[in-house]
Amino acid sequence: MQADSEPARPVDILLVEDNPGDVRLIREALHEGKLLNQLSTVPDGQQALAFLRKQGSHAQASRPDLILLDLNLPRKDGREVLAEIKADPDLRSIPVVILTSSHAEEDILKSYNAHANCYVTKPLDLEKFVTVVKSIENFWLSIVKLPSKM
Amino acid sequence: MSTPKSAPSEYETPPNPGLLALARPPDLALERSSAENGQRALLNILEDFAAEKTTLESGQRAMLNILEDYDAEQARMEGAQRAVLNILDDFACEKTQLEAAQGAMVNILGDFSEEKARLQETQRAVLNILDDLREKGNVELVNQQLGKEIEERKRAEEELACRAEELARSNAELQQFAYVASHDLQEPLRMVASFTQLLGQRYKGKLGADADEFIGYAVDGAHRMQVLVNDLLAFSRVGTRDKEFTAADCEKVLQTVLANLQKTLEESSGQVTHDPLPTVRGDETQLLQVLQNLVGNALKFHGAEPPRVHVSAQQIKGEWRFSVRDNGIGIDLQHAERIFLLFQRLHTRAEFPGTGMGLAITKKIVERHGGRIWVESEPGKGSTFYFSLPMKGVTHASGFRASAAG
Repeated sequence: MQADSEPARPVDILLVEDNPGDVRLIREALHEGKLLNQLSTVPDGQQALAFLRKQGSHAQASRPDLILLDLNLPRKDGREVLAEIKADPDLRSIPVVILTSSHAEEDILKSYNAHANCYVTKPLDLEKFVTVVKSIENFWLSIVKLPSKM
Repeated sequence: MSTPKSAPSEYETPPNPGLLALARPPDLALERSSAENGQRALLNILEDFAAEKTTLESGQRAMLNILEDYDAEQARMEGAQRAVLNILDDFACEKTQLEAAQGAMVNILGDFSEEKARLQETQRAVLNILDDLREKGNVELVNQQLGKEIEERKRAEEELACRAEELARSNAELQQFAYVASHDLQEPLRMVASFTQLLGQRYKGKLGADADEFIGYAVDGAHRMQVLVNDLLAFSRVGTRDKEFTAADCEKVLQTVLANLQKTLEESSGQVTHDPLPTVRGDETQLLQVLQNLVGNALKFHGAEPPRVHVSAQQIKGEWRFSVRDNGIGIDLQHAERIFLLFQRLHTRAEFPGTGMGLAITKKIVERHGGRIWVESEPGKGSTFYFSLPMKGVTHASGFRASAAG
């Protein structure tokens, strides 16, 4: 589904995920989607923040339209990354989708309290997983109005 | 005592010679001689008289002396009498004193006996006190013994508490382990399942019939393992994700169960009826799991007839006894215990799908609520599963709360 008012420009998605299998599955799912997108991936929290702040090897990184954030990450975990993004006036307008295998109510509540834009658990089943990723893409990149790129 | 006078002999002296010389006439004739004779006679007489008088006087003096002596004697007598009287007086005085002393003695004796009585009383009192003390001593002994026993009991309790703590800890660790293991197993399993599925989707018919069959088994195995791990996770959550007990309206809970089982009910043309159900104290989510497992089983294990399930609750001896009765295939009662154990199944997956976790989870929940679960059945005619919940309700949840694993 293509949003009427959305210009046909590729949208940038930053995926923060340490599991290459999940990266591949998400990539496959997004590939099946009709939207043009540029998927960047980083495997840990530190790199995620470096990417967003265009630091080090990420100097050429473009500001993403959407962040898919896993919670359990090496070095700096997703909870800290979320807190830093939402505390940063330059970054906090970027929607953050928590995409995790944690069903813990504590994680759900803490994430929303830290201003996560939504919380999604990874379905066990492949079909459902693909459906969920496509739904995220569709909702955030074609249904929702996002602020224009700064 | 008067002193006697001098001896009367000193007064018997001869007539005074000076007086005789004075009475003699100096010179005269015959006449004068006769007259002188007569005068001499007279003078003699006078002399005699004077002598007599002297004698008389001396007699008188003697008499007077005697009288004096008598007087003296009398005085002496009187003195003696007085002395005797004095002595008598003294004696009386002495007697009085003696009597007084005797009286005093008697008084002292009286005092003494009083004193003695008092002493005896004091002694008795002291003895009583000693008895009391001894008794108190006994009490103290008993106290000491009690103290010792209390001490020992305390120690035993501490030991017990220690062991209980250890058990709780090891139990908690086990539950945590089961939780973490099943949770962490899910992740790689999801990879296996997802990518074998992806393989199947992309390469079905391209790698030959064998490849398709192998991929099929891999996908099926991964899926079954996912369900198992998921059930194991659910089982471990009974201990790790406990909620506080609240008032749970079982009517409402059953309505939710029936809504959840809507699809199964339709597929099996089953019917579930029920009596009024009480409000009990417990973990509503878990009670829902119990009813859903039991009603779900009742619908699942049906025979040729469409399933008819009846849920009821009765008050029996301070507890609610719930029952879920069905008209299904029934259970041979020799398996009555086994069916509540983890992973125990009585049928092949082809006959009835499942992991053998449902009743184990159900039992764990019921026991966590302080109740029991059991089954009565006749093969071919149906089963009735019973579970009890104490009416007073267990207020605290056993087990522990695991920190959320992501």
